[in-house]
Amino acid sequence: MSAPNRFDELQHRVADLAPVFREPLDSPYEISNELFAALRHVLHDVGGQPDIPVEYREKEEEPWEMSTYVTCECLGWRGVWNSEERRRAENDLGATLYFGLPYYARWATVAAKTLVAKGLITPDELSAKLDEVRARREARP
Amino acid sequence: MSRTHDHDTHAPIRTSDEISEFEVLETAVRELAIEKGLFSQEDHRRFAEWAESVGPHGGSRLVAKAWTDPDFKARLLADGTETCKEVGIDWHDPTGSGTPSDYTYFYVLENTPQVHNVIVCTLCSCYPRPVLGMSPDWYRTPNYRRRLVRWPREVLAEFGLHFPPDVEIRVHDSNQKSRFMVLPMRPEGTEGWTEEQLAAIVTRDTMIGVALPQVDWTAQQPPNRVETATGQEGRR
Repeated sequence: MSAPNRFDELQHRVADLAPVFREPLDSPYEISNELFAALRHVLHDVGGQPDIPVEYREKEEEPWEMSTYVTCECLGWRGVWNSEERRRAENDLGATLYFGLPYYARWATVAAKTLVAKGLITPDELSAKLDEVRARREARP
Repeated sequence: MSRTHDHDTHAPIRTSDEISEFEVLETAVRELAIEKGLFSQEDHRRFAEWAESVGPHGGSRLVAKAWTDPDFKARLLADGTETCKEVGIDWHDPTGSGTPSDYTYFYVLENTPQVHNVIVCTLCSCYPRPVLGMSPDWYRTPNYRRRLVRWPREVLAEFGLHFPPDVEIRVHDSNQKSRFMVLPMRPEGTEGWTEEQLAAIVTRDTMIGVALPQVDWTAQQPPNRVETATGQEGRR
């Protein structure tokens, strides 16, 4: 995904993701109890937070999105995890990934992470499979 | 290179000539899970088949039947999960013990002249899939999740719904294992309609609670958009 010749460009993008209120959140020596409580707030608990009116749009589910949903449900059906674990794992992605990823990309990401965390697949197996799938797709006419 | 403005980086990750990394990730996870025997290809096919079979048509049938059969309505309000079976919806499908994410505790919320119900899942996107199918994308947005519980009248107004102050707006936050659906009020002008005719005007949004059934408005035939091609006429 990130070829070496685009490394600097990627680093700039990553730096842009840092919070605007940056200095106190760059591994500070000390923080207030109030900030500690704010940092401990569970990410998904957004009810009541102020936000501006936006246009609520319809979006068709893409095939990979439906398949992600079905894969996650099959993992639940066959006892690999339950939906509470999946939801918790999404929160544990951290604010940048939780709010930055599209909805089903969160699901796919935590499915991969959970399989690795539970020792059901190894990181090497996942990397090899990702390379294999990507190569297979690129070979398609 | 500019850090803030570059047209290449603004392009969506999924385009016709680029392979989506999410698609690659999904395929990799699914294939590894099947190779490791965590679930089977057949499991995936069966669940996908179920997911494609559910949709708002299930809920529409429940509402139409409740409008025409007072006993059914009483049973539906008393025990949603069990009463769904009467229209062929079994919350235990497709696994025998329900879907992993929707559970088996279904409640129908009745709208009255004094009470309007609307649903949300502030914590994620919990939704009664067995009766309504997949949730709309906006239902899952942090924006809807943030605002509806605190400013329901404002959010409903953006959907075109305005209620007098003496109508109570009840927001139901599906933050545990219960799943909710709104039973809207039957609109005037539908006297003598068949269940099929009634079901056609019960759209997904009326069962979420962000719309009211209209006699000339169906899921198959939505009203003319307010915006016209010229962009002028509809704004009056």
